[in-house]
Amino acid sequence: MSEKQDFSELQKLLRLKRLETPGPEYFDRFVDAFHVYQRREILQDKPWYANLGALLLEPWFAGLPRLAPVAASCALLLAGVAVFLGPLSQGSGHLADGKVAHPRGIVVASVQSGQSTEIQPELIDTAAGGDASELRPLYVNGHGAVAYDSRLAF
Amino acid sequence: MAAETVLPPGLENGPTDEELVASTLKGDLGAYDELIRRFQGRLYGVIYHLTSNHEDTNDLLMEVFDKAYRSLPTFRGQSSFYTWIYRIAINRSFNFLDKRKRRQGAMSLNELDEEGLPKLDLADLSPQNNPNKSIMLNELQNKLNESMLKLSKEHRTVVTLFDIQGLAHSEIAKIMGCTEGTVRSRLHYAHKQLQKSLGIYLKR
Repeated sequence: MSEKQDFSELQKLLRLKRLETPGPEYFDRFVDAFHVYQRREILQDKPWYANLGALLLEPWFAGLPRLAPVAASCALLLAGVAVFLGPLSQGSGHLADGKVAHPRGIVVASVQSGQSTEIQPELIDTAAGGDASELRPLYVNGHGAVAYDSRLAF
Repeated sequence: MAAETVLPPGLENGPTDEELVASTLKGDLGAYDELIRRFQGRLYGVIYHLTSNHEDTNDLLMEVFDKAYRSLPTFRGQSSFYTWIYRIAINRSFNFLDKRKRRQGAMSLNELDEEGLPKLDLADLSPQNNPNKSIMLNELQNKLNESMLKLSKEHRTVVTLFDIQGLAHSEIAKIMGCTEGTVRSRLHYAHKQLQKSLGIYLKR
């Protein structure tokens, strides 16, 4: 091996970087600090679209106007998808017991928020997946759909 | 020329990583705490040597363990947990570095480490309390960091994993998703670059 390719001295030097580490007290506290961090993250959990604005505007903040058309195209595409999916409550019929008949012919529970009625798409999928004879109303617990069980009703 | 493998104490005893993953998935949160304890030091090292900033490293390390915890149900055991979490740490660090580069341009060395967490200074190694030696060691430390930051993130990663953390070429290849040949060639190139910039500190 030529002198030029002998990196052993360099490797010894690089091993000094192992010492660039916080003391043991940092690692002793880390798990607790992580629990605090995780609880905060859960409480602040935002839906996927919450960061969309920042993501699309980042090229401008970063001073990279060449990415601006890409970001604009993405924004248009997402707007298109949003229009295509549309609010599901449109075209749904309200039933007397507060449930909603969806255009697909599925009866699902609804969440009343002020004047409007919202249907969670996952409720429709859940309801559509079952046999029509077993179709049961669903409720929303604020985090997602849960199959209704009279024993759990409150 | 193989580097020494550095394993945290106690890693050989107790349940395997995969057993701890299985326990975590069954709801035993203590098992995940144990996984954190096993990997926190090594992942801290990887992230720190890529970012050269202790504060950013702390934030990224939290993110890595959080991301891993949330993704645990999708962990299918095709690779070891060890490889998997290293990959998460490196991907997160790369994303962070790309973002930092875009937002701030090349980072000044003066911005690094200033507000970081307490660390063991290289000067502490000095057997005698010799101020000249301390100055030289600090200068060497700065020069080391500066030289590392001049490398591309891929080259810096192989140097970190091989020379600093002591992983084998095959392990690095698995973590980085490339061949062992690529790892060796990156390492050789990085060594040549570092040798060039740190030459005056090396014995001839």
